Amino acid sequence: MKNNIRVERAIKNLTQEELANKVSVSRQTINAMEANKYVPSTVLALKIAKVFSKSVEDIFTLEKGD
Amino acid sequence: MSSKLLLPNRFKNVGWLILIPSTIVGIILACNEFGFDWLWARVFSIANDGKDGNYMYLGIRNTNITNTVVGVFFIIGAMLVCFSKEKNEDEFIAEIRLSSLLWAVWVSYILLLIAFLFVYGSPFFDVMVYNMFTVLIIFIVRFNYIMYKNAKAVSHEK
Repeated sequence: MKNNIRVERAIKNLTQEELANKVSVSRQTINAMEANKYVPSTVLALKIAKVFSKSVEDIFTLEKGD
Repeated sequence: MSSKLLLPNRFKNVGWLILIPSTIVGIILACNEFGFDWLWARVFSIANDGKDGNYMYLGIRNTNITNTVVGVFFIIGAMLVCFSKEKNEDEFIAEIRLSSLLWAVWVSYILLLIAFLFVYGSPFFDVMVYNMFTVLIIFIVRFNYIMYKNAKAVSHEK
């Protein structure tokens, strides 16, 4: 699964730390998601989408093989 | 998340404070095979050696408890370190925790399997002793290594 969290974050001018605080996870988690090393839970995906005022599909997209 | 089975974060440091000294003492004990002379005690035992080589169940016996004390402290310390929450415990850390546990069980039993095949006689008894601790030790090493790697990856970011 791909995501454009890094891009959305740049648009909203948020640091990893700020986004992490908004969705109550550690900074490592945001970093790992941006590096495509971690697929978030549905709850976390929904929370992130909410921060960016977008739908989940606008931020997370399936890849070949998913 | 499934943090119901984890202890509060403050127990982690307590765990390290118990684990590190008992590891050092444990290694010294393993190398020298001695017991502290002042550590004799009358203990209740569920099973131990009887007089004529048979097992004796449910009795009191006088014994040196050096190994008991060090082993108990090591296990308690290691369990506190393993099963206390991180400061910022979240779902990603929970996943690292689970994968490290799986890893630890795998590696531990592969080591045991190798020992079963290639170690015989009384050295095998030593293997059994070490194997009591391998799951906890491997878990601690692997979990903290991954956490360290992630912390490093984060520090490279802005």
